[in-house]
This record gives sequence, structure tokens and C-alpha cells, in this order.
Amino acid sequence: MDFILIAMILALLIPIYEAWQDNDIWQKMLAFASIATKTSIMMLVVSVLRDDWPIGVVAVIILSVGNAGLMLLAHLIRRMNEI
Amino acid sequence: MTNIFSYSLIIIGIIFWFWGTFPLVGNRSVLFKLHSLSVADTLGSMSIVMGLLLQIPREWSLLLLALITLAIWNTVLGYVLAYCSSSGETTQND
Repeated sequence: MDFILIAMILALLIPIYEAWQDNDIWQKMLAFASIATKTSIMMLVVSVLRDDWPIGVVAVIILSVGNAGLMLLAHLIRRMNEI
Repeated sequence: MTNIFSYSLIIIGIIFWFWGTFPLVGNRSVLFKLHSLSVADTLGSMSIVMGLLLQIPREWSLLLLALITLAIWNTVLGYVLAYCSSSGETTQND
């Protein structure tokens, strides 16, 4: 299972690199959306590995509230572009 | 047997992740990247959570909630990002 976690961390590095190197705001938003989903799934894997359900609760909260926050941010950026 | 099946589901999910994330670094348009990303991320994450469910942990209810949250919120996020980024381009073209 450790190998799986290491592979997940590697998969997480790609959107982080993308968010760092790209200047377009929408490409950064894509990268952040991908980072949010991947981190919450990694936390779920850790919570199953450690058999520790509070970490799982935090992962599900990150999944739903994180995506909702990104949606609000997308609408905000759209309105800012219109000004 | 279920252990092998759950590990294979998790590995398939990770392959989906890599497959969806690689075009992200290229120079394609936002919508192209968004399509491959949201498809791969959602399906990959769902197969990883299914793989975890097969291990029948104590937290199976949380995994079920994560599965539903993924199915709903990730797709809606993909739609909102597509809508906001493309409507931004139309105003710039006017």
C-alpha cells in the first residue's frame, strides 16, 4: 500500500508543477481543482490504511467544500474578467 | 481474492490519474485539458474509492459518501470551470 501512496504523491506533483509554471488563470484553476481531488482521495487512502475515521471525515469535507469553494472562485474570476 | 481485486482497482485508478494529468502540462486549450482531467480524475478517484471499499474497512460509510460527493461535485465543478472559462473568452473576443 505504501507503493500506492508514493505513486499518488507522484501523480499529485504534476498538477502542482503545472500550477507553478502556467500563467493563465484558468490553467491554474484546473491544476488546483485536480490537486484538491487528489489530496482528498489520498487522505481517504491514509484513513483506511490507519483505520482512523476522523481523517476520512476531513477528506470528505475537503472533497465537497473544496470543490464548492473552487466553483465560487471560478464565478468570481469570470465576473472580474467582465469588468 | 478480494484483496487482489481491490489492489487492481486502485492501480487502475492511479493509471487514470496519470493519464488525465499528463496533458495538463502541455499547451492545449483549457477546455481540452478540462475534459481529459475531469473525466480521468473523477473515474480514477471513483475506482480508487471502490478499491478501498472492497477492503471493507470500518469507514465504509465515509467512502460511500466520498463516492457520491465525487460523482456530483467533480462533474459540476468541471461544468462550472468550462462555463466560466469559455464565457471569459467570448467577452475578450467581442
